[in-house]
Formats: sequence, structure tokens, C-alpha cells
Amino acid sequence: MSEVLDLNDAGAMHIAKPAPSFLFRLGSVLVALSLVLMVVGPWITPYDPNRPTFEISEPPPALSAVPGLLWKVITGAPHDPIHWFGTDSTGLDVFSRVIAAPRTDVAIAVSANIVSLMLGSLLGLLAGFARPWVAGTVMRISDLIQAFPVFITGMILVTLAGRSNTTIVLTLAFLYTPIYVRLTRAEVLSQRHRGFVDAARVLGKAESFIALRHVLPNAMAPSLIQASVTIGFAILMTAGLSFVGAGVRPPTPEWGLMIAASANELIQGEWWSSLFPGLAISLTVFGYAAFGNGLERKYAQ
Amino acid sequence: MLNFIARRLLVAMFQLVGLVLVVFFAIRLLPADPVARLVGMNATPEAYRISQQALGLDRPVLEQLGNYIVGVAKGDFGRSWVSGAPVTEDIRNVLPITIELITISFILAFLISVPLGMLCALRPGGVADTATFTYSLFAGSQPEFWWGLLFIYIFFAILGWAPPPLGRLDPMSTPPASVTGFITVDSLLAGNMTAFRDGVHHLMLPVATKVFVLSGPIIKMVRQNMVRVLGADYVLYAHASGLPPWRVALIALKNALVPALTLLGVLYGYILGGAVLIETVFSLGGIGQYAVRSVLAFDYPAIQAVVLVIAAISLFVYLALDVIHAWIDPRLAS
Amino acid sequence: MPSDAAPVLDVRGLNVDYGGRAAIEDFKLTIAPGEIVGLTGDSGSGKSTLALALLGLTRGPGRISGGSVLLQGVDLLALDEASRRERRGRDIGLIVQNPRGALSPLHRVGQQIGAVYRSHQAVSGTQAASHAIDMLRSLGLNDPERRAQAYPHEISGGMAQRVLIAMALGSGPRLLVADEPTSGLDVTIQAQFLDEMWRTVRKAGSAVLLMTQDLGIIANYCDRVVVLQNGRQVEDAPTQSFYAAPRDSYSRSILALRKEDALADATPAPLLAIKDMRKTFPLRGSEKRVQAVDDVSFTIGHGETLGLVGESGSGKTTVGRCILRLVEPDTGEISFGGADVTRASPVALRALRRKLQVVFQDPFDSLDPRWTVADILAEAIDGKPGKARITELLRLVGLGPDVARAKPRALSAGSQQRVNIARAIAVEPELIVLDEPTSALTPLARIAIIRLLRDIQARLGVSYLFISHDLNTVEHMSHRVAVMYLGQIVEIGTREQIFRSPLHPYSKALLGAHLVADPSRRRVDRTDLQTLSGEIPSPIDLPRGCYLASRCPVAQPSCREQPQPLLPAPDGRFVRCTPAIASLKQSPH
Repeated sequence: MSEVLDLNDAGAMHIAKPAPSFLFRLGSVLVALSLVLMVVGPWITPYDPNRPTFEISEPPPALSAVPGLLWKVITGAPHDPIHWFGTDSTGLDVFSRVIAAPRTDVAIAVSANIVSLMLGSLLGLLAGFARPWVAGTVMRISDLIQAFPVFITGMILVTLAGRSNTTIVLTLAFLYTPIYVRLTRAEVLSQRHRGFVDAARVLGKAESFIALRHVLPNAMAPSLIQASVTIGFAILMTAGLSFVGAGVRPPTPEWGLMIAASANELIQGEWWSSLFPGLAISLTVFGYAAFGNGLERKYAQ
Repeated sequence: MLNFIARRLLVAMFQLVGLVLVVFFAIRLLPADPVARLVGMNATPEAYRISQQALGLDRPVLEQLGNYIVGVAKGDFGRSWVSGAPVTEDIRNVLPITIELITISFILAFLISVPLGMLCALRPGGVADTATFTYSLFAGSQPEFWWGLLFIYIFFAILGWAPPPLGRLDPMSTPPASVTGFITVDSLLAGNMTAFRDGVHHLMLPVATKVFVLSGPIIKMVRQNMVRVLGADYVLYAHASGLPPWRVALIALKNALVPALTLLGVLYGYILGGAVLIETVFSLGGIGQYAVRSVLAFDYPAIQAVVLVIAAISLFVYLALDVIHAWIDPRLAS
Repeated sequence: MPSDAAPVLDVRGLNVDYGGRAAIEDFKLTIAPGEIVGLTGDSGSGKSTLALALLGLTRGPGRISGGSVLLQGVDLLALDEASRRERRGRDIGLIVQNPRGALSPLHRVGQQIGAVYRSHQAVSGTQAASHAIDMLRSLGLNDPERRAQAYPHEISGGMAQRVLIAMALGSGPRLLVADEPTSGLDVTIQAQFLDEMWRTVRKAGSAVLLMTQDLGIIANYCDRVVVLQNGRQVEDAPTQSFYAAPRDSYSRSILALRKEDALADATPAPLLAIKDMRKTFPLRGSEKRVQAVDDVSFTIGHGETLGLVGESGSGKTTVGRCILRLVEPDTGEISFGGADVTRASPVALRALRRKLQVVFQDPFDSLDPRWTVADILAEAIDGKPGKARITELLRLVGLGPDVARAKPRALSAGSQQRVNIARAIAVEPELIVLDEPTSALTPLARIAIIRLLRDIQARLGVSYLFISHDLNTVEHMSHRVAVMYLGQIVEIGTREQIFRSPLHPYSKALLGAHLVADPSRRRVDRTDLQTLSGEIPSPIDLPRGCYLASRCPVAQPSCREQPQPLLPAPDGRFVRCTPAIASLKQSPH
């Protein structure tokens, strides 16, 4: 074969790849920050998040005073105790609690998604490869779980099983597994009849080898993208559950609990003790959504 | 088409039966002791036994299940273990409040989001698109209970525009006679404009919060469908055939909105189940708050009823929208 | 029939770019009234972009950056959008490939034809509706009233293309731009459609710009040929002289396959023997079954290529998949090298399979996108193959050693198909099933792959089952040819027998519909054509007798009652048509 007549599709249209968008970068930063705080948050708090200080309901420093205080902290000049986000009505330092909370909120959300992602992918693979009755059973059970109202079911399971981090993780994993089963199965069904799968069969490869080496790796992308979005929802749910009193127990530093504890003070004008934990949820979940959206766009290209 | 509806109804029925069974067994399998919760920690074994007997919990589980299913089939969810009131009666009182809130929010969010989503799709990547899309991504990932509180702080505590977040109506105003259970509708039916204004006033903030978070996913969905349709061959071909722009727009709109129906069905069910938080913040007394109360009190009959009623309504709405979808889009029914 | 009248279309210096990249460059073209001009070029050469630009439209981020498109003397690009819109569909009509995608899925086709007519003519809705029905009737559709009520998903591709024609020609434009109008249609339907279009425009005196990759279509229907390469016009010549002596090197290379080469020798001793193979598939939500393969028997000798031809739905792909045991045949025997494939134990089957390889139609789809070429080839060879073996395999298929590190996405479709071939020959098989291996490739890549496959056969002595709907490539590859229709082999014989003197009425029609890239053998000039009528029966409810009887021009009453057996003809071939064999016996050539 001396002459190769192939033309490298020279005229094909290539739409220029847009640079990683602002949203994706913002999302990546927020996701990274939340993961870092999840690991080190409780170790770097300026005050013990669970021991009240003597200042009760102390407002945060005025914006104009912030640069001066920062300067004092950096230069090590002597200064009064600083509560960046103020203190709540029991005297707890809000800033310390906000940065200690990811150890609960983010850790629960991430663990729940890891469990459901693994379980869901394997069940989805099974539902895509197994005999019709096995696949049918898996899918009917998924349908059934998805017919439950998510938040209320979460509330029931967590409360009746005993409110703890573990029960919340298991409950969320249970509720989210069908999402991954569905995504993986749909992807597996579209992958399992692709040419490279049939080609591996013709080469005499075992079905289990094909399922794990060819089909599963090619079927994971949608689930991984979904995971980013679902971690965000899991954070919302964890905080929501504790907000109504069906989640983690006080006095754990947890964003939803902090908001619930200071909801009444808010009307009396003590805005800081619920504003900052709320902002933390708001930004973190938005970060995961933006990150997932960016991944989705990259994958679509 | 009838075949299609019948098949879907059958599946929904099976799901509901499955739900009844799963809920019944799940709450009995979990390591909670409702009797201890009711009689208190320091009750005598005698008091414990009496209470157990009164709740029927001393009977075999299958007998309990049989009695329960017979009751549910007759529309009787039993009596609350806490208050002793018939659960069916309770649900009838609290459910309309939630449905009213959710439906109004849903319709408003839809009306606001569709034009915004279309605006995005006209010039994907443009300034308007980027701004609206960022907003929708943000709104779709927000803790609604916190925003509710924030709105209360701003519009009630600071500005004084909104009423205190303490229920559906001012304690001083007389509620209209209950016909539909929806305060806005009932007060109009009764010609009671004071109650109507008060009802709308109390709905203002919860609806605003709900519309804000709901607009996120709806805008994203409309935008996605519209971008897909505007890039479709048939829109390009309609231009190439010299169709006037308004007619091309109509074709695109129909093709973009019809597939959204099924997703809207899913979304409705989802927010119905998620009304708990917003009701807690504004003390609205709907089925969400009822659920919280029942769960924290281990009130099994009420818990079972709440789950079943919400799941049934979600399934029904989903089914109805799916049928409408299939009716407009002939590809689905065949 | 070129004329000296003022041109219908006069394009000068047209430029289109996509984000600064030129897609069409300095393009010029004139078309006289009533002239049919063929425009050819590889996919990606800019044909579709050009078609849209002639109407003043672009897709996506594209932009017309210069030039003029004079339509009957008026520059379309200089007009405002409203006047341009008026002319689209009235003075210039467009039909496109993928006709079903060009119709809104939620509107009835009659409604869509009517809407286009109404936007150019002052008529009422009722008039537009009856006009739509008239147009469909004039295009040879039976029962146009019912067809007009159909939604796009309910009609076939050929039907959808006629709906597009009805939309495009509704207001009698002087120019029709047809962009790959028959890609995706079966050959017999394609011929039927092009004949209709040819008659319609010749009668109306409209000019046509027919864009296609298929040089057969151009040779058969066009007065003039224009060749587009990378957005530039590289050739513009009358059809006759283009085919006689193309001036441009690209044009020469795409016409190169017409030369005949001798095939490698084959031994008649059968390597593979199929006997009475049958396969049906269950139909979702129904008790009925779709018949895919019905009573198929054939043999393939060592080093031999059997071409398996048929239209979509003829079951040819299923035959290949049954041999590979990717689907289980319901009944029948497959013996390979003396061993019984259908009754082989799993272990024996695995060993057997390695002597039986496959190359699929879609080259990219057949390669795991996450693996490198080296990994893909190593997977085929069990154990750890040396780098030398990989390089050797790549060299065999005409690829350099550096390809080994690439992932499939980085390769062109032709190179991907070479990797697929390399994987197939890596295990040194005795038979390769080639399932439409060239259908997804550009004409140039197609030629190269055909040459490669023949070269490999000559070197390694491997046998091929070559499955294709493209009669050109089958003719170039095969020692023997089997023609399939609705799951049955209707005729099987040597290449010469099938291509020079087909016997079965279906083979005759199929070959008659085959458009040869030779303007001296134009289909429209032939008078002795045997054509089929009506539509293909559904494979769910097959007729009792001969499956072709309802479309066959020589059917006898008994054909409708009695299934036809596959019987030997005096010249050694097998034909599933008793009357045809009888006629051969009466008048031996």
C-alpha cells in the first residue's frame, strides 16, 4: 500500500472550542473550596465552633472596619477578639461554625453520592446486560423508589432510623441510587450494541470482560456529570432536613441547623447569624451546579 | 391512544399498590418505637402494653396490613395516634393549602420562564443568554427556606410590605366557607373581597420564593429545547421555503414546548413533595407541615397517608401531562 | 439541454466563512434555463453550505462574506430580508438530504406543503390544502388525500423526499437546488425518485442544481458537472467530456475505480457452508415476528469473496451476524472448516470465532473511543504482543507506526477503517465478514479500502463475505454474488452471471436501478428497463406465494399462490423464479 488516498476530512466544519467559561471556572473554585473545607474546616476555625464566647448576639464588624482589622491580624498587632460573621444569641462564633460545617454538609452529600453512584452504576450495568426479568425487576424497583416524594421520604427514613450522619448518608444514597441506575442503564443500552462491543465478542471475549472493560467505562460520563449536580441537591436536602428538625442533631455545626436556630432572631434584626450560613449553602450548591453544567457542555462537544 | 392511557393507568395503579406495601413495611422495619414515644420514657410496662393494644400494634403484622389495606381502599386512612382525629379529615383540610400554593407558583413561574428561556435561545452565547442562563443555574440551586427567611426579613421586618409569616390568613379576618379548600377561590365564591385580599397578601412572599427557585429549572429546560429546535433542520428548511418569520416561530414554539410537558409533570410532583420547607418558614399549615408534625411524633397512620396522597397526586399529574403530550405529539402514542 | 438564454442563476465570487474559516471561496457558477447541473465533491467539501448560501442562508455561526447570487438577474444577497424571503420557495426551491428531518414532526405533511404555498400565493387555506393534494398526486403518489394527513414519522424516506419536492416546486420556481436528495434511499427507490424528478423538471422547464457524491447519478441525469473541493470549484465541464477525460487530478482520482482489476484466485472447496438458515425477531408489544432471514443457503470457498447484495431490510446484515453468532439463528446449519458452528461448545466457539472476523460499517463506532490503537490491536492478539507485531499489522493496512499511540477520534474515517481491518486480520482469520465496510466513507477513501481489502486477500488468502448495497463495490470485490430480497436469496451465481445477465426479475430491476458512472449508458435513455411497481411488502405480513409477485412485471397467477424454490439454472447459478428458469431453458444463450 504505497498510496494512501485518504483525505483527512479537510473540509469538515470545526466550530472553535470556546475557552472554559467563567461559570465553569467559578464552579470549579467553589467545589474545590468546599472539598478543602470538608477536610480541614474544623481544624482551622479561629474559635471552637461548639463553645460559646462571652459576646452574645454581637454583629459582624462594619465593612469599613474590615480592612483595618485585617491589617491587624496580618501584622499580628494586638486587637480585641474579632467575630468576622458576628456571634449568635448563645454566643457561638458564626464564622467558625460556617467553615466547620462542610465536615457535615459536604461530607454527607459526597459520601451519599459515592455510595449511590457505585451502587447505581453496577445495578444499571446489570439492568442493561442481564436477562429481561432481572433487568425488569431492577427497573421496577427504581421506578417505585422514584415515585416516593423525595424530601418527605427522607424525613421519615432519617427520623425513624435515628437521626445521625450515617442514617442521612444511607437515606440519601437510597433515594439517589435510581437516578444513577437509570442513567447508566440508558447509556449501557446504547453502548452494548456499538461496533466495538460486537467486535470484542467476535474476538471471543467473555461478556463480563466486555461489560466491565468496554461498556461501563464508556457509560460512566453522564453519571459523573449528574453526580456534581446531585451532590449540590444532597447538600440542600441535608440542610433542609436539619432545618425542619429531621436531620443532624444540634449543636453540630451545620448550615441548616444554624439557620433554623436563628430564624426567630432574624425578625428582630439579628440578620448575621442566619445570613452567612445561608450564603454558604447558596454559593456551594451553585458551585456544584455550575461545575456540573460546565462538565456537561464539555462532554457534549 | 385509549390503549396508551389504559396502559399508563395500569402501571400507575401497580406503583401505588407497591407504595402502600413499601411504606407500610418500611416504617415498621426501621428501629423506631412509636409506643415508647407516645407513652413516654418512664411509663410502666402496663401502660406500655395498654397503649400498644390501643394502637393495634400487638396484632400480627399481616393482620395490621389487611386492616390497613381495606381501610385505604375505602378512602379511610385510620385515626391519628397523636390527636385521635381521622387522618382523611386532616388531609382534606391541609392538602388544598399546599395545592393552592404550588399551583399558583407553578403557573407564574412558567409564564415568567418561557419568554426568558426563549430570549436565551435566540442568540445562544450572547449577553442576554449568559445573564439569564447564569440566573437560572443560580435560582435552580438555592435553599428556598433561607430565601423565604430573607424575604421575610426584607419585606416584613424592614419594609413592612408583607404580613407576618404566621399562616394563610390574618388571625383577625374571618375565613370564607370552605368549598374547594383554596382560600383565594373560596373567598371569591363567597364574594368576600377582604378575605381574598388578605389571602393573596399572605401568599405573596411564599409564592415569590417558590417562583424564584422554580424559574431556574424551567428556564433551563425551555432554553435547551428552544436551542435544539432553532438548530433543527426543519426550522432552517422553513426559512429556505420562504415561510414568514411568524410562522417559523410558531412551528419552533410548538416543537419546543410540547416535549417540555412531561418534564413539567415530573417537576410538579417534585415540588409538591418539597413544599415542606416553604410551609415551615411561613407557617402555612399545609400537608408539608402536617408531614413534619407526623414524622416527628411517629404518627404512623398520618405518615402513611401523607406519602400515599402526595405520591398519588404526583403520579396523576405526571400521567395527565404525559397523555396530553402524547395527544399532541403523535410519535409517542404509536 | 443548455441554451443561450439569460441564465437562471449566475453566482459570482461567492464566499462563506465559519468563524473566519473559509467554507466556500470565490465560487462562480451559471445555470441556463432548463439545464441540469451536477455538483460533486466529498462530504465536507462545502456542498450543503453552498446550497443554503444560494438562498442567502447559512447554518450556525456561518456568514456569507462576499459575492453575488443573481437569480433571474436580481442579486439575492443585495435584497433586504423580506424580499429575499419572498423569492425563496417561489423563484428558487430547495430539497435536502434527510428529508424527514426537514419536516416539522408535529405538523401533518399536507399542512406543511400548504403553508409554503400560502406564503407565496394569495390563496385560502382550503385552496392551499387541495393544491398540496394535487402536488402529491402529480408526483405519482396513490391516495394523496390520505398521505396529506400523515405525520412525517409515518412516511418512508422516499415519500418524505416527494413531500419536499411538492413544497419546493409548489410555486413553480425556475431553479431547484437538490442537496444529496437520495442519500439514505434504497437504489430501486432512488432510481424511481430521480426518474420522477427528471420528468417533472424537464416538463416544467425548471433548471436543477443537483448536488451528490454519487458519480453514477451525475452521469445519468446531468448535462454538466461541477466539482467542488474544499470550497473551491476545481472543474466545470459538460458531462460527456468530464467522464471521458477529467482535467483535474482530484476528479481523475474519484473516477479511478472504474478501471477493472483481476481478482485473486479462489479454490472452490467450501470453507463455510450455510444450510437452510432462518431467523425471525419478535415484534415489541405484539405476538407477531419480523422475518429477517428465510431459508438461506450458500457456500464460500477458500480465498473466495461472496458478495451479498440487497436493499435495506433484505436481511443481508442479519445473515452476517448469524454466521458470527452475534445473533442466534432459529434453525439451520453453519459449518465452518468442517466444524459445526451452531452446535459448538462455548469453548470451541470461542476458538472458532477467532478464525471468523468482522469489519463493520461505521469505522468510528467499531473502535473503543477510550483505547489507543495499540491497545485495540493488542486486545485482538491474546497475550502481550510485541511492538513489532503492532507495527507489522499497521504496515499491512497502510498505516504508519506512529498511529499506534493515537486514539480513534484523532484518525480520519478511512484510517479508522484501516485499524478495524488490522484488528480483524490480527488473529489470522480464514473468513472476514465485511458488513458494508465502505458505506460510511468518502469516494476516495472507499476506493482505497477496496484496494486494501483485495490486496490483503491476495496476500493472506482470506475469504470474504462482502455485504453491501453498493453494486459498484460488490462488482469490484466479488467472485460470486448473491442477491437478497425480504430475507431470501433470489439469485446466486458468478459475478459475470449476475452483473451481465441477471435472471430473476428482482435482480434485473436492482441492476436496472444501478446508476453506472458512464454517461453513454444513461438510465433515462434505456427503453428495455424492467422496473418494479408498488411498495415492498412488510416483513411482518409476508405474502403466501412469491414475495415479489405483487411488484413483479412478469408474475403469473400461480406465483401469488406458490412460494418459489431456489432452483439450479442450466448455467450453474441458482434462481428463485420458476418462470425465469423456464425461459432460460427455452432460449439458451
